Amino acid sequence: MHFKIASVDSIIIYFGDEINQEVSLKVKKAFTSIIALKDKALIEIIPSYNSIFISYDIFKYDFNSLKKMLETSINFDSLEKQEETIITIDVYYGKEVGFDLEEISKKTLLSIEEIISIHSNKLYDVYAIGFLPGFAYLGNVDKRIKMPRLTSPRKTIPKGSLALADTQTAIYPQDSPGGWNIIGKTAMELFDKKLSTLSPLSVGNKVKFNSITKIEFLNQGGIL
Amino acid sequence: MSLEVINSPLLALVQDKGRFSYSSIGVTNSGVMDEYAYFIANSLLGNELNTNIIEIAFSNIIFKATKNTMIVITGAKCEFFINEIALNTWQTYNIKTGDIIKIGKILSGSRVYLGVHRGFIIQEEFGSNSTTLKENLGGLKGDKLQKGDILDFKSFNNSSIVRLKEKYIPNYDEELILRVVLSYQEDFFNQTQIEKFFSSTYTITNEFNRMGCKLDGNVISCEIDGIISEGISFGAIQIPKDGKPIILLKDRQTIGGYPKIGSVLSIDCFKLSQCKPFQKVKFTPISLEEAQSKVKLFYLSCIR
Repeated sequence: MHFKIASVDSIIIYFGDEINQEVSLKVKKAFTSIIALKDKALIEIIPSYNSIFISYDIFKYDFNSLKKMLETSINFDSLEKQEETIITIDVYYGKEVGFDLEEISKKTLLSIEEIISIHSNKLYDVYAIGFLPGFAYLGNVDKRIKMPRLTSPRKTIPKGSLALADTQTAIYPQDSPGGWNIIGKTAMELFDKKLSTLSPLSVGNKVKFNSITKIEFLNQGGIL
Repeated sequence: MSLEVINSPLLALVQDKGRFSYSSIGVTNSGVMDEYAYFIANSLLGNELNTNIIEIAFSNIIFKATKNTMIVITGAKCEFFINEIALNTWQTYNIKTGDIIKIGKILSGSRVYLGVHRGFIIQEEFGSNSTTLKENLGGLKGDKLQKGDILDFKSFNNSSIVRLKEKYIPNYDEELILRVVLSYQEDFFNQTQIEKFFSSTYTITNEFNRMGCKLDGNVISCEIDGIISEGISFGAIQIPKDGKPIILLKDRQTIGGYPKIGSVLSIDCFKLSQCKPFQKVKFTPISLEEAQSKVKLFYLSCIR
């Protein structure tokens, strides 16, 4: 763990300098132990791939007292046997919603069926949430379907679109401009004002994509 | 019925202190850009300091009151009329049913605040009324104020007025010196670059909104191109590949992958929020200890 000043009222803790499962697991464990403190003086706690950002009440802590408190509170051992939360997301991988499937097929020389099978057979880690409310960065994508970002981003990517960029995959929780490759669509809400947690995903969860038919997608309220 | 928007303002948003504890799922803090003008407004009205308010950029908004209340206008210097009579800002006014409140041109500064006694009655979204357009959250249906919108409040009858002492009214035309706590990836900027950063004068560009403020001027180079995306503080100074600093403000994205040389003091970001494109700014370093004592002083004097 390496502590660094972020701003007048925030710090950032680094747990490693690369993106991998080991570092991500440390972030998850540290995040869980910080949340468990229920310390109101910790205002925002933002976990990401290899770091946790914390903004704090400077009337309660300074850099050193906060660092000391966190060093004694963060526990990497206690959660060793904690069960993993796996969230399954139903996806319709169809050409009418997966705008880039054909292009990826051309580039990778894989059939669309193979791309779908490779993408949906993997269990992904939620590494970070950001960019948009509920936009979860999932990794890592199988190297065979690794795709660079589009050279010119689309003005609008429809809400629910399943996307690929480099080693990561994600779902757009709302209509948004974006430069990722689109391979499918879900009817699931990724940022739902009616949910108490707002987002069904959080950093440290695992995600499984389940390929569904067009009929099933439409029955779930999916829009083509 | 209470305050009705009569015209179509360009950008008027309901705001408060901001939306906290949802950053971990990507929801930005939002909140008023200039907390000084905001706290003063609420303090003059005798409100709780985190009472909601209307933040007006690009001027020109007309309201009709349909109840009695007390209002105050703070922030940017602007043309301000009640029933076509020109009046001064930074003081309270007692409003009667039927009064027309107009904010015309902005003369100095860039954001005007209009508050009412005890605030507007609006359902909070995730603990806040702050409007974030890109997230479609807060305010009235997550949107900016439109012609015909009605902002309700409890009627209030009062005869006294409260005015802010002249010496506490900011001058928004002065060249701004932004105090910076070196932080984050500071070690990836060599001494020459750090010296260049603190000795240069930068110009605010047109790319200046609630998310951030892009500067033009001497290019700062960093030893690394990008970093693994991480949480971004209010006031963080990103140095993107083109070497021109971007200061991140209230509607910033929660995580990002550009290297950051440091962070501007929150209380200086409030002043920056009143600047206009083409105004000049400079940076000066400040230690964390001194920075924290300055920020504490600001909040303590607001409470008093």
